[in-house]
Formats: sequence, C-alpha cells, structure tokens
Amino acid sequence: MEKKVLLVEDEKNIILGVRTSLEAVGYEVHVVEDGEAALDFVRNQKPDLILLDLLLPKVDGFEVCAKLKKDAETKDIPVVVLTAKATEEDRRKVMELGADAYMTKPFRPQELWDEIKKYLPEGQQS
Amino acid sequence: MSSKTPPQFDSSRLLDHLPDPLILTDVQGDIVWVNEKTEEIFGISGEEITGWSFIQIIKIDKIDKQLKEVLQTGESSESSYEAATVKVRNPEGKYFFKITIKPILDNGKVGGALIQLSDVSRFKELERIKTDFVSIVSHELRTPLSSIAMGVGMLKDGLLGQLTPRGSEMVDAIEKDCDRLSKLAGNLLDLSKIEAGQIALETQLVQVKGLVDEAVRPLKWQAESQNIQIKTNIPEDLPYVEADFNKIVWVLANLLANSLRYSEPGGTIAVKVEMSGNRMFFSVQDDGCGIPREYQDKIFQKFVQVKGDSGPVGGAGLGLAICKEFVEAHSGQIWVESEEGKGSNFTFTLPLARSKENIAP
Repeated sequence: MEKKVLLVEDEKNIILGVRTSLEAVGYEVHVVEDGEAALDFVRNQKPDLILLDLLLPKVDGFEVCAKLKKDAETKDIPVVVLTAKATEEDRRKVMELGADAYMTKPFRPQELWDEIKKYLPEGQQS
Repeated sequence: MSSKTPPQFDSSRLLDHLPDPLILTDVQGDIVWVNEKTEEIFGISGEEITGWSFIQIIKIDKIDKQLKEVLQTGESSESSYEAATVKVRNPEGKYFFKITIKPILDNGKVGGALIQLSDVSRFKELERIKTDFVSIVSHELRTPLSSIAMGVGMLKDGLLGQLTPRGSEMVDAIEKDCDRLSKLAGNLLDLSKIEAGQIALETQLVQVKGLVDEAVRPLKWQAESQNIQIKTNIPEDLPYVEADFNKIVWVLANLLANSLRYSEPGGTIAVKVEMSGNRMFFSVQDDGCGIPREYQDKIFQKFVQVKGDSGPVGGAGLGLAICKEFVEAHSGQIWVESEEGKGSNFTFTLPLARSKENIAP
C-alpha cells in the first residue's frame, strides 16, 4: 500500500514541487494549506508522515506541531518541518515541541526523499 | 588657523551647548566637571557629582577601563564606531555613544582626561533596519529557490521525461545559478545574524591538523581539475586551539576557494600553520594574480570585490566579510599581504586553548 504523506504548505510552487517529486517515487500525497485544516486532516485520516511549513495561515506550524505531539492519537506520526525560517531559535523551538526533523529551504528532491525514507523505509516503490 | 581672535566667552557655557556629553576628570579619574548634556543624559547634576569617581556616576565599565588606560599611558583613545559603542538608557529613550578620551597634559604630565561621547543612536538604528531587511530578503529568497531547486532536480533525474542534450545543458546551468543564489541567500542571512549578535560560538578544543584537513578535502578535486596544487604544512606537535570547528573550517575553506578562484593553472596554494607566542597563525598563500593595493584595506568589507582585467570573477563579496566576523568573534585577527601579479597571503590568528589539558596531541 502506498504510504500517505500530508503536506502542510501554502506556497503553490512548493506544493507542485513536493507533490510531483513524492508521487514520482510512489507516495500518496495530500495537501492542506493552513494549520487548522492540517489538524482536521490528521485527526480524521492519520497520514504516515507530515511535512510541515512553519509560516501558515490560521494556526502556525509551531502550534500544529505542539498539538499533534501532545495528542496520544497523533504523537507517533513523524513530523518533518520544511521551512525558509533558518534561525537557530526556530529550529530549537520546533524541535522542542517534538518535531522529528527540520529541513531548510531550498532543498532538492533527493534530500527530501532521503529524509522521508528515514521514517517510511518501505514507502518508495521505485 | 584663522587670523581672527575668537570673541571672549565663558568657555564652560559654550561647552554646555554641545550636542554631546562632555566630561572632565582629574588624574585619579574623579569627575571635576560635566556639561549640561551629560547632566541631561545621565540624570545627574554637575554640582552633586563633582569629586565622585567616574564609575560611580557613569556606571559603564567599558569607559572606566578605557579612561584608566588613558590616564596611565597619556595616549588618546578612540573607540571605533562598530567596536565600542556604549548603550545608555534613560527615561527619554535609549542612546548609543562612541567614546573618545583625550589626556589633558600639564607640562608633559597627565593632569586629567576629557571624555567625549558622540551620539551614534541614529546610525545604530539604521544598521538594525538594514540587518532586518537583509534577513527578510534572504528568507523571501529561499521559498522560490526551493521550488526551482526541486524542479531542476526532477528534470535532471529524468522524472519528468528525457531531456535533449541541449536541454540538460540548460538545466545544468540553471542548477549552478540556483546554487549560487542559495549560497548568497545563506551568506546574507549569516551576516545579518552575526551583525545582530545572534551567532553563538560553539567552541571546543580543536586539533589544528583536523581543522585544515576538513577544509582542504572538499576542494582537492576542484584544485586538481584546475591543475593547481594545494600543499599543506602542519607540524605534528601543535597544541590545540579553542575554536568553533565548523566556523573556522568555513573560514579556511573560503580563503582556499578564493585562492583557487584567482590562481592560474600550474599554480600552487600553500596552507601553513605556525605557533608564535600565545597565538596560532593560519595562512593561505597563493601565487595567483594578487590584489591591487587600493583594494587591500577594503576586501574585508561587505560587497567589496576585486575587479580584474576581465571583470569580476563571481560571488557577492561577502565571504571575506564573514571570515572577518568569525575570526574576530574568536578574538583573532585576519589580514592580507599581497603584491599584484605575484600572489596573496591571507593570515588569521586564533588564541591557544587556555585549558590545562592543552598539551600537544
């Protein structure tokens, strides 16, 4: 079965890039564009992994991460932060909230695949 | 000199009108007089403070230390605007001052000192705005760069279909420029963080040879492909330095990359490390085109690039500015000796580790 990845991102071009690169190697990609929708999606659909931007409308990425990691139902879903915010402080803050990994934009498809593979070893079909 | 004699006024009344605080001390460093601006800024009155020691009133250690040195040596002291501004907070707001201290000589002996604080608050404010701006620009560059990098990566991997030879040539060129922009965005962000004092050094005891090897290794291939030899000469018995490993590797790698950029095929780059006194001297010497005299003082400033006969060689002129910030954060110094047509020698120093464990490896 294809592994289900949730991308929480509001930049259209990033969505296109991430979706295309992940679908190309066999992941099932779902996209939501704000933090509130992300929380709803995760509670109802239980993705295998979450790719989370930090600057999001409605509820920001920090809060999304904090809520998911506090909830026993969702705390084990790996959260990989994808962000253009490259300060040490942001990294520390979100890692303390329980994020599993932190990737700074820009990144290449290969880097993204490598990171995801650490959490979903069997996800790739190619 | 003007030939006119200035009209006679009470000089202390004149000095009261100066826009900057002015303080006069005796040879012990006790305050003997202040102008009105000092009273206003520090919230004190001239009469009540006379005879008090400087540090009791102006509770800023940095100026007190500087003052003592001037009184002892009889030499003027002027802090550079970047290095030694002092911050004063009062109910009216926050001020930044640059300090100038001049000895007052009486028959060749120091009789006291005159301390002038120049208000540089506006410059500091502008600097902060610029730093914020650079940081925002750099963040804003990253998002579009990310979708470009991903697109290019997928095109190269053939995920979106086979490219024609011309197509892959184009994609390679885009990838290269995308890398260049990413690096620029990263450097700008680093610099803005350093300037905002946000970069903390993670120092540890570092073995010099490991440091140099780490910097040279990734550039070996590039050097070979340009037919340039990198020679390293690192004595085995050097003691440890106390340094942030990654940042000093960055500095060395940056100096090496510069040398590679300005060297001709067949050239040699020598990396040397020597100990002298309580400092370690790292140098990167090349026999490339050298740096014109007029640039030698400026190349450690931001956005300064040496323009050769064939125009600029690429890069944004930030590398050496970051090197300088990193080295100075370690209490070291960096400089260049160069002769046009003969080559350049960049040297920086690091203090030796003070720890008792510091025996040669």
